[in-house]
Amino acid sequence: MLFVLLLAPAAFLLLFFYFPLGSVLVGGLTDRSGRFSLAVITSLLGDPYYLRIIGFTVWQAILSTLLSVLMGLPGAYLLARYDFRGKRLIQALTTVPFVLPSIIVVLGFVRFFGNNGILNRFLMSLFGLSEPPLRILYSLQAILLAHAFYNFPVVVRIVSSLWRRIHPSTEEAARSLGAHGLRLFWRVTLPQILPALLSAAALVFIFCLLSFAIVLVLGGGPRYTTLEVEVYRLAKVSLDLKTGSALALVGAMISLLFLYAYIKLQQRSSFAERMTEEVERPRLGSMLGSLRGVVYLLYLLFMALVILAPMITVVAYSFQLRSGWGQQAISLEWYRRILSGGPYLRAVANSLFFACMTMLLSLPLGTILAYVGARSRFAGGRVVEAVMMLPIGISSIILGLGYLKAYQQLPWRIVGSWYAIVFAHTVIAYPFVIRVASATFRKIKSSLAEAASSLGAGPWRLFWYLELPLARSALITGAAFAFGISVGEINASLMLYNERLITIPVMVYRLIGSYNFIGACAMGSVLMLFCFLAFLIIDRAGGEVG
Amino acid sequence: MGLQIRGIEKIYPDFRLELDFQVRQGELLILLGPSGCGKTTTLRLIAGFIDPDTGSLAMDGHRIDTLAAHRRRIGIVFQDYALFPHLNVRDNIGFGLRMQHWSPGDSRRRIQELLHLVSLEGYAKRKVTRLSGGEQQRIALARALAPQPRLLLLDEPLSALDAKLRKNLRIEIRRIQRELGVTTLYVTHDQEEALVLGDRIAVMREGHIEQIDTPERIYNRPANLFVGTFLGQANLLRGRLVRRLGSPDGEMASVDTSIGSLQARWPVPGPAGAAPAIGREVTLFFRPEHCSVDRQGSGKTRSSNRISARVVRKEYLGSHQLVEVEAQGEYLTLDLAQQKPLSGDGTVTFSVDPSNICLFPGR
Repeated sequence: MLFVLLLAPAAFLLLFFYFPLGSVLVGGLTDRSGRFSLAVITSLLGDPYYLRIIGFTVWQAILSTLLSVLMGLPGAYLLARYDFRGKRLIQALTTVPFVLPSIIVVLGFVRFFGNNGILNRFLMSLFGLSEPPLRILYSLQAILLAHAFYNFPVVVRIVSSLWRRIHPSTEEAARSLGAHGLRLFWRVTLPQILPALLSAAALVFIFCLLSFAIVLVLGGGPRYTTLEVEVYRLAKVSLDLKTGSALALVGAMISLLFLYAYIKLQQRSSFAERMTEEVERPRLGSMLGSLRGVVYLLYLLFMALVILAPMITVVAYSFQLRSGWGQQAISLEWYRRILSGGPYLRAVANSLFFACMTMLLSLPLGTILAYVGARSRFAGGRVVEAVMMLPIGISSIILGLGYLKAYQQLPWRIVGSWYAIVFAHTVIAYPFVIRVASATFRKIKSSLAEAASSLGAGPWRLFWYLELPLARSALITGAAFAFGISVGEINASLMLYNERLITIPVMVYRLIGSYNFIGACAMGSVLMLFCFLAFLIIDRAGGEVG
Repeated sequence: MGLQIRGIEKIYPDFRLELDFQVRQGELLILLGPSGCGKTTTLRLIAGFIDPDTGSLAMDGHRIDTLAAHRRRIGIVFQDYALFPHLNVRDNIGFGLRMQHWSPGDSRRRIQELLHLVSLEGYAKRKVTRLSGGEQQRIALARALAPQPRLLLLDEPLSALDAKLRKNLRIEIRRIQRELGVTTLYVTHDQEEALVLGDRIAVMREGHIEQIDTPERIYNRPANLFVGTFLGQANLLRGRLVRRLGSPDGEMASVDTSIGSLQARWPVPGPAGAAPAIGREVTLFFRPEHCSVDRQGSGKTRSSNRISARVVRKEYLGSHQLVEVEAQGEYLTLDLAQQKPLSGDGTVTFSVDPSNICLFPGR
């Protein structure tokens, strides 16, 4: 029965993931006449230009990850070991990277750190300067900072959730044996949180490796280009799908390698979870008299600010009347323009439509796969799971490229249609549905299913009356995720859109490109509103992420 | 009638389960044994969660081992209750009725009936997660019974509860089982529970049943040393079988032990083994409460099994006392109920009725 269930998802993935992926594979591994050849890849790997891109891609990801870990570790410690007012809010904020579209981070970053941004204007008025003192944009620093700001909450979230479960008694024992300070951390605490730390780092690393919009805009040119951006440029600017495919293959190999490492690390991390009962944690509020307490508080404020700043910047700027100096008039001009129809309203409508369709498709797809994965006991289950989860390791740029290549020759025009974008979004979103759903299906005690079965429930009714209701909140979370991912997705959309199919993130990107920042911020604010709704639902339903 | 388990085998890499027994119509059969003996596996085989390698199961003459678990109409009460957390009390009890397509009216009446049966009227709308352990257990029982199962299985249903509640609930389970007359198989490792509840007890060990009989016979006439020592306390004495005697009470055996010659009941040969041969090593088995102290001056002459011993330790337990004694290096325990204090010189003479001594071959 489980195999019958698999048919529809398998067919979908075959057509809209493995077929495009295969065509990228074929494209990268054949010469111009269509024969198998490694020539394209080897010439690529012999070209210093591409070698530099590969090197830079990995290098920036390593640096971004280190920076994220350094920024996130103190936060993980505070969330794990202390109680304070607003803790719930801070915890909720650590979900932000999973739902905030990267284009918003880009936009907020430009508006905050840009030559004409808030920080520079503040410094100029403070010191009476005529030139912006900070020129961060379009540099490695810009990419690293944006990545770290975007991803450090991931570290906070994953590490603190393990750290919280480690009983303080091991540290107390170590302290009674004479360990303290850094030695205590190094010898006792770090080994215990290491699995979570490594798995968080691996996840952030993959995010940064595949990061697209941030590098595209904040890198600002060929000097700071990564594999993803280069594949995009080859496909959409140079229209060289062959070289693009070869480069995409190289990129996919690298990202799959690290995805494998991440999965391995995750399996290790599950052994370390041991504390079940809650311990009393010291309250930060009572420590404010000491220097330590003040430092902790300042860190928390900094953390909240860094997460919230791009969003606040974007919303605040969207109400400005005109770009320029000293004019602070508040206006709803851009919102009027969006609502009055035309391309802006179309982008909003498109985004909503794509997101709803993505949700409707990825929810059953992910649920079925998660269910089969959780229930099947046959040896091949692992393989099936890997095959189903592969899309996580394939970047959406490569997916978009695959769509462009694969569906070129078909009589059925897929590229240029709304369903190409919806299918691509579904492929990107459903692994997240699987994640939340399978965790829940696995948690259902076997005695519950046996009880239902002994009361006369066959496999279908067992699912319908027991397992589905028990997984409800996880499925709501999964649906909200799918919605959020689709509505904020820019990579595949940028590869596949046309004027008729433009989405909000793509519109924001184009408005940034034409230096229309108020418009970009207004569209960005609309986008954030949708993401915020998704976030609220996720937070309410309480499904676990990451 | 009832449940017939015929030639069931289930082989695991390190464990082998062999079953051949019957649960009679309307009886409460206890499956008793140490943990890991296969009790729960037996239950799960009957329920249909595990498929046997060979053998058959028949309920009231119809085979059920060919049916999927959800078609067997067997009610199960799980050790962890397994109440559905997303449903309230009423919908938990009504789950099986819904699966069997009962009409809403019948269903409502049946739920009321069961709530009354387990004395939890007024609980219909409660969340199951808010109930105490004992209440959850009653709801679990009500849920299992609601669709009128042909067989009720209980898997250590009281093991998660505290001692006092356990005693109350087992009385209630007994009452409900009697009232409904439902054929019941009850798994436990608690010997007291087994003795109190069971119409019959099946003692299991390492995948097979050692003895299946009434509580009295299991306790007083254990089939072998394992059954005898698993239930209750026992005194064991090694010796050599020397003679077979006729007596008015039946066949007797005379056994030489380190504390002298003792007489015991001649064993009824079991299905597994023949009677022990003269001259062989045997083990004598008797319960502490079957030892009676000979009072000073009482003219008790009939008893041949008189033992004189030194008192080693006394344990006062309120209603009775346990006395540990030593004779010729053998340590024995006497359970003396409401008897006069033992003599002051630290020795005691007691006797054991030969009909209360069992003889097992080997040592």
